[in-house]
Amino acid sequence: MKKSALTIVSLLLVMTMFLAACGGNKPTDGGKASNTPSSTPTETQEPSKEPDPVNLRVFSTFGGTDAAREAFQKALDEFTSANPHVKIENDTMSANDDGFRTKVNTDMTNGNEPDLLFYFIGTDASEIIKSEKVVPLDEVLDADPEWKNGFAPAALEFAKHEDGKTYAIPLTGFFEGLLVNKKIFADNGVELPTDWEKMKAAVSGLKAKGIIPLSGPFDQSHYLLEHFILAAAGSESQNKGLKDAVDPNWAKGLDAMKELYDLGAFPEDAATIDLGMAANYYSEGLAAMVLEGSWAIGGLSDETKANTTVLPFPAVPGGAGTGKDVVGGFGTGFYVSKATYDNAAKKDATIALLKHLTSPATIKNIATANGGTPAAAGVEPEGVTQAVLDGFKMVSEATSVNSPIDSKVTPETFSELRANVQPVVTGKKTGTEAIDAAKKVEDSAK
Amino acid sequence: MMKGDRKYIVMFLLPAAAFMSVFLYYPFFKSLFLSFFRTQGFSTKTYVGLDNYVRMFSDNLLGAATLHTLELMFYVIVFQVGIALFLAVLVDNITWGKGFFRTVFFFPVVISGTAIALLFVLFYNFQFGLLNTILQNFGFSKVNWLSESMALKAVAIPTVWHYVGFYFVLFLTAMSKIPSDFYEAAKLEGITGVKKTFLLTIPLIMSDIKVVITLAITGTMKVFEFIYILTRGANGTEVLGTYIFKKAIVDRNFGYGSTIAIYIVVFGVLLSLLANRLLKRDEITY
Repeated sequence: MKKSALTIVSLLLVMTMFLAACGGNKPTDGGKASNTPSSTPTETQEPSKEPDPVNLRVFSTFGGTDAAREAFQKALDEFTSANPHVKIENDTMSANDDGFRTKVNTDMTNGNEPDLLFYFIGTDASEIIKSEKVVPLDEVLDADPEWKNGFAPAALEFAKHEDGKTYAIPLTGFFEGLLVNKKIFADNGVELPTDWEKMKAAVSGLKAKGIIPLSGPFDQSHYLLEHFILAAAGSESQNKGLKDAVDPNWAKGLDAMKELYDLGAFPEDAATIDLGMAANYYSEGLAAMVLEGSWAIGGLSDETKANTTVLPFPAVPGGAGTGKDVVGGFGTGFYVSKATYDNAAKKDATIALLKHLTSPATIKNIATANGGTPAAAGVEPEGVTQAVLDGFKMVSEATSVNSPIDSKVTPETFSELRANVQPVVTGKKTGTEAIDAAKKVEDSAK
Repeated sequence: MMKGDRKYIVMFLLPAAAFMSVFLYYPFFKSLFLSFFRTQGFSTKTYVGLDNYVRMFSDNLLGAATLHTLELMFYVIVFQVGIALFLAVLVDNITWGKGFFRTVFFFPVVISGTAIALLFVLFYNFQFGLLNTILQNFGFSKVNWLSESMALKAVAIPTVWHYVGFYFVLFLTAMSKIPSDFYEAAKLEGITGVKKTFLLTIPLIMSDIKVVITLAITGTMKVFEFIYILTRGANGTEVLGTYIFKKAIVDRNFGYGSTIAIYIVVFGVLLSLLANRLLKRDEITY
């Protein structure tokens, strides 16, 4: 008995030691952050004769299958060859992955901040902004008018946080829309879905021919929800989110999804496929339409790409949508972490790298690679496919350009909406029930 | 025990104790702590008392996930353990080629679960999956293998297949430990073939079967990648592993996620205890 008691006591002792050790991490990080300002009494823009080597970590989504991966790596290489003392670690993760946001949040809150972070603009970033892990860049922008004036004013305006400050420097923007395979429509004698009646006719007509009318997954239903709700609720209501009252038009969007489902709009296996597979069906010519973003166009098969045009999603009858509301904007940008900004050794190199990565030349290369809207003024990406130009045209004719709905509600609310897509289309729940459930989740998160 | 031994005992226990504390006890107690908070991301949390637990008991999706986990557990215990035992009996009875079959059956365990799941995506895919291509070549119409009525069973197949080899090796090792004089005595008594398996081999490795069933139960609580990749938890396949991921990581609600974690731990411990109680038998020593 005594022996075992001793063992337990020693075990507890060990455990507490480690608990203490774990807790001790944070103060050391805090210490690092507070130490550094004292070593930067003067801010000299002039680089010293022999710059000390600097290691920078850039965390972004330009990896894996990203269309702009090579263009981004090239931009980094340009910088390191011009500044041989700087070493850059190009750290990447796919933004399609639910884990991306978690990775960023974990890194930012645990003292493992990347020096330069490429991340979402909007509610996703409010946490790291609120906890002051990233710095406002307005002063840096104002200090270099040449750099600042290189941006399209709309892009910088879009990147502003709700407090009116600019934390993120945009690179390329995006649009989302209804990607339509014109050839399939023409071959089957179906009209393009420019309004709701034509959409229904197209769905029935294509379904009868054994073609998937509209490819979209029910679990990763981000684009379905964004477009159906926007098309039913209109721009103003969509932008309000669910914080205040519930707009009955939101439910109309979900009911419209059911209407199309009953006509056979979605793939047989829509419940279990992911976004990649849905886009694949479209790319392989198995589906006539897909709701996707501008970044997806570059990844389509050559044949489908050549036959693709981009249309705004038609307005749902009885709702407040104009039929020309689009989802788009500048959804991502570069953030500079506070720890780096306060670190004299790293600050200048990081700002220089930021300026290089958002220079008109780099923006042009990236936009050319990923089909995005350049954030720089007067830059025209080269060799852009017709589909992307159609998309630009769609945006220029739009009555409103909205950021996606998942930036308007809490992550939990959006999950609730996603989880209810299948129950709604299969008739287990009504649109109103689903929206009410989402509202309840939104309220409990207050 | 000598008095000086104590020092060494503590010394040798330290590394393991430290490791367990950092990677097991600390996260566990942290989860317990977090389960009383409403969290928003990493930075803000407010104490909400038992709210998360109240929510948990009225959470229909969690109930459904529990039932799906139990159904999957049933398939795993019956088929994974069953097939492993069957294969082990077969391989134990052959005189040559044991090594070959052991390698072949063990092989899937080495492959990453994600890779196997991706492989099965290509089998099951409705539009151009292997199974539907075969069906079409024979003139049948395509089947949605991951439909609401079939999805969980379809997911159970790779789950079962993945770990059959592991339990197979455990069983085979247990069988090889049975002294040969048992069999010789049985032979003299005229017990051979199937009778020998049921009257001799299986009772003699009962303690190993118990261990394997406990492993299978706790293993099923951790199933994640097959569901996440094959069905994303849709069509009645949401299990505890994928549900906690959605709540904690996708929703970024670590408070409620931690509550579910506590639930999974309690549920898992109860199930293992129950299994141990049901399978209680005297230990056999050779």
